[in-house]
Amino acid sequence: MSASPVPVDAALLTETPRDAVFFRQTKARRRRSLRTFGRYTLLSVLAFLVLFPIYITVVNSLLTPEQIASRPPTLFPTDPTWGTYGEAWNTGHLGEYLKNSFIMTGIIVFFQLLTATLAAYAFAFLEFPFKRLLFVVFLATLMVPFEVTIITNLNTVVDLGIYDSYLGLAIPFLATGFGAFLLRQSFLTVPRDLKDAAALDGYGHLRFLARVVVPLSRPTMAALAVFAFLSSWNQYLWPLLVTKDDKYRTVQIGLKQLRNTNIDQINVTFAGVVIAIIPLAILLLLFQKQLVRGLTAGAVKG
Amino acid sequence: MAGRRMRSMALAIATVLTAAIVVPVATAGASGRAAVPAAASAKCPLGALKKASKPVEITYWHSMSRANGETLTRLTDAYNASQSAVKVTLVNQTTYNDTLTKYVAGLSSGDLPDLVQIEDTALQQMIDSQSVVPAQACVKADKYDLSGHVQRVLDYYTVDGTLWPMPFNVSNPVFYYNKKAFIQAGLDPNKPPATLDEITAASKKLADSGAVSKAGFGLKTDPWTLEQFLAKAGQPYVNNGNGRKARATAVQFDTKEGLEIFTWMSAMVKSGLAIVNPNEGTAQYDNALGIGNGTNAMTIDTSALLGTISTLLASGAYPNVELGVAPMPGPAGKGGILVGGAANYISNKSDPAKQAAAWDFAKYLNTTQVQADWAAGTGYVPVVEAATETPEVQALWAKDPGYKVAYDQLITGVNNVATAGPVIGAYKAVRDAVIAGEESMFTQGVKPKAALKAAKAKADAAIEEYNTRVGG
Amino acid sequence: MTEVGAAQGIDLAIEGPEPEAPRRRWFKRERREALLGLALVVPALVIFCAFIFYPFLKNFELALYRTAPFPGLPDTYVGLDQIRDVLGSSQFWNSLTITVLFAILTVPIGIGLGLGLAVLAHQQLKGVAVYRTIFSSTVATSVAVASVIFGTLFNAQVGLLPWLGVDPKIPFLENPNMVLGVFPIALVAVAGVTIWQNLGLSFILMSAGLQAVPDDLLEAAEVDGAGSWSRFRNVTLPMLSPTIFFAVIIGGIFAFQTFGQIDLLTQGGPDEKTNVLTFFIVDELRGQKNAGKAAVLAIALFVVTLTLTLFQMRFLEKRVNYER
Repeated sequence: MSASPVPVDAALLTETPRDAVFFRQTKARRRRSLRTFGRYTLLSVLAFLVLFPIYITVVNSLLTPEQIASRPPTLFPTDPTWGTYGEAWNTGHLGEYLKNSFIMTGIIVFFQLLTATLAAYAFAFLEFPFKRLLFVVFLATLMVPFEVTIITNLNTVVDLGIYDSYLGLAIPFLATGFGAFLLRQSFLTVPRDLKDAAALDGYGHLRFLARVVVPLSRPTMAALAVFAFLSSWNQYLWPLLVTKDDKYRTVQIGLKQLRNTNIDQINVTFAGVVIAIIPLAILLLLFQKQLVRGLTAGAVKG
Repeated sequence: MAGRRMRSMALAIATVLTAAIVVPVATAGASGRAAVPAAASAKCPLGALKKASKPVEITYWHSMSRANGETLTRLTDAYNASQSAVKVTLVNQTTYNDTLTKYVAGLSSGDLPDLVQIEDTALQQMIDSQSVVPAQACVKADKYDLSGHVQRVLDYYTVDGTLWPMPFNVSNPVFYYNKKAFIQAGLDPNKPPATLDEITAASKKLADSGAVSKAGFGLKTDPWTLEQFLAKAGQPYVNNGNGRKARATAVQFDTKEGLEIFTWMSAMVKSGLAIVNPNEGTAQYDNALGIGNGTNAMTIDTSALLGTISTLLASGAYPNVELGVAPMPGPAGKGGILVGGAANYISNKSDPAKQAAAWDFAKYLNTTQVQADWAAGTGYVPVVEAATETPEVQALWAKDPGYKVAYDQLITGVNNVATAGPVIGAYKAVRDAVIAGEESMFTQGVKPKAALKAAKAKADAAIEEYNTRVGG
Repeated sequence: MTEVGAAQGIDLAIEGPEPEAPRRRWFKRERREALLGLALVVPALVIFCAFIFYPFLKNFELALYRTAPFPGLPDTYVGLDQIRDVLGSSQFWNSLTITVLFAILTVPIGIGLGLGLAVLAHQQLKGVAVYRTIFSSTVATSVAVASVIFGTLFNAQVGLLPWLGVDPKIPFLENPNMVLGVFPIALVAVAGVTIWQNLGLSFILMSAGLQAVPDDLLEAAEVDGAGSWSRFRNVTLPMLSPTIFFAVIIGGIFAFQTFGQIDLLTQGGPDEKTNVLTFFIVDELRGQKNAGKAAVLAIALFVVTLTLTLFQMRFLEKRVNYER
């Protein structure tokens, strides 16, 4: 939005000495720059408030416990203790936790994309019995909160023998109704002519999917992938229920463990928190556009 | 055509849903659930130990830490060295709570010990779990003589004529105070308060004289206080013969005495004569540490702390403290102090040889000399009377009469259904209800009568829920 | 309506624009396509049935039994008694109330703050992109991250509250007293943490919505003499209403699924003042091993979430302006 132009007031239309006009224009300009300064101040204050917890975390991760407890508190690490990061990584097992999170998330993202793509293709391009019913079923999965399923899912996973394993961590999330819905929307926008041309060229379904549909839907698939990554990475409840010790623990649960074992060394806990934030921060910096698309799908018209 | 499809779809969903609800309902009655077997038929396989190849290795889960843990380790090493039939491996599970949680988890995972130290209040749960060999069975098979044990201890752990665990470490609450602070406040250091009113008066004097920096009394938010108080008054804590004649179905602590202790606690905190700390977490010993730091000069806590406290004081870090130990103050009545602490249960999921081995080790722990060593090293009360006459214990009591207080409390008073102690399946939930009641008084200013009533309502609901779950 | 394809001899071919084919091949093609369609849908369907629908339905069976407190012991069939007891208990109603209060605290404030920040950062100022990045930054934090950070900040021994000038007699996370007579302070503290953690997401959502507001409409309003507040109320807000509506629905659903913060910060306390339904369910399952009671609570959670969503869709959608 551009700032409003210099107000044209009636006085200018009459005879006015040049100084008066100049003075009036400067006053308007000053008012404008005051307003702009005010806006920057407001923005900065708000940005500070939003960023403060993360800032404090990073700072505290580089201080010693004594410095953290000192009053007034240290706001900038003049003598940073980098050892906390090594400590969090090794003794705090954060390296293992990160690895487990990556593997679990990788499995989930891969299978969600796979099952959603296949299902969306069927819904968009094929005819089969109960198609409408099955689509409703896919959407119905969005209505069941995950917490409602944990009791039996826990038993199922134990019975299948995959309690406390990567498969156990990932299995309830291998398919997504939201993903199928999203991709179906995207697949439906594939132009008729392309389909006909492919048919003429003798493309089978698989080739059509791989060579035409997927490349065209890449943005949406990327959005889905980023969204799936974000939600799996941040999973808390299921990994808590399905792991029993450090072997398969993910980063989110690892933070809880780290905090409980380091009550007297919070700098190490904070270092762990920073380590936990970094992968997501990188992902988001690189894939901001896809993330926004994934998050706002369904929200904004047009 | 779409409409027809929709309708058949709806019909299909309705059928599935109905089936999911109706079928289990219909078949439930038919599947014939098994009845709960009786305890009397349990057998103690003593013979298996003689036949087994030696040494039989068993695991013992316990929660003894610091000085107590070291003493236990010493005694266990001595046992292992003294014979070659049984080898005991100790596993420290840190707290009573953790041990019980891990034990219950072990009932599904199979990860169980052969002998386990479980705290006093879990008695009914251990019975209900149907996973232990009652000590009574081994007593019978081995013709073991229980008459040397302290009667009230046996009474506590015996339900319906069956002794379930072997009692091991007994403690009860005692009154700790700083004699030097008493002197400074103009109080007689050899006449500690014996009633609640006397505690109030002493607190006032301590605060006025500046002998304490925060308050005269350190009050731990502990449900034990209510239980012991009512026992001293001779009142059963729950109905049905304190849960021993039949399963308890309701608490009975909403009596005049129950209200009296709640009112006293509330008034002390409100008037600033007492400071409060929780009974779990990092601050659970603040009431005792406070005596050392001078923030308070009196508290009620377990006699089991005495060993650790004595060691701390002996280090010279608290020159302003001369510790006094006295019986827990309370109402006079046909009652006495309750048994606290923990006892040893033999798991019936182990091999017969290991069960017999566990019994052998449990017997060892209750021999006179071992009990004497145990008491001297930890401050726990000997469960065998003969141990009190050994030179070790006599010397301990002579040197530090504080250790004798807990034992005296157990043998004075009357042994009746009230002092036998309550047996409750949902004990932990009842205790949580009492803690919630106390905390509501301290942090939200709820009136004692309302707090007690709310605690009873919660406790009764918890008991009823547990009872239906157990099917009784 | 399927089109008849005529691509000869190639299996699984997609429909092409050719008209005729003998009937037999027509059926075969349709059947093959039907089989393929079903086959492509089956993998997801298997996962859904096994891990969403079956567990959901199984709750109805579990709810009819009182689970034994120890494994290996039989469960007691009690019919509808358990459902009646649980749904009538004060513990349940407390939990339901707390869950609703939590949603009331987090959803409007979260959307409002996100909207406010989005509007402020929507201006054409130099370097506003930096502010936009900062405002979206909490998207990189998870519930666990935010809870560990704030849990430590609020801590009585090692926290920073005293320095900030706040020295509460009772730590926020353990304070059962009420603010405005209705909201437990501990709940407000957890809500604050949640709002902060969701700020990035809310900001991104509202920003995206703002970008969809066409400039020409706003300029036209300005030419008509509308002030900035009036422009906001009469042009921006209505155009934002689909986004806000979406945010309210999704926000409500997520608020009812809060778990991590409670587990890390208050564990349902003090005195069950933060015992939201999800925590209640997990506590009954994990702590009390009471699958029967947890199943009743799970069904209740489903019904409540569904009712809330349907209610919102019915009554709020009327106020949403979908026209261009």
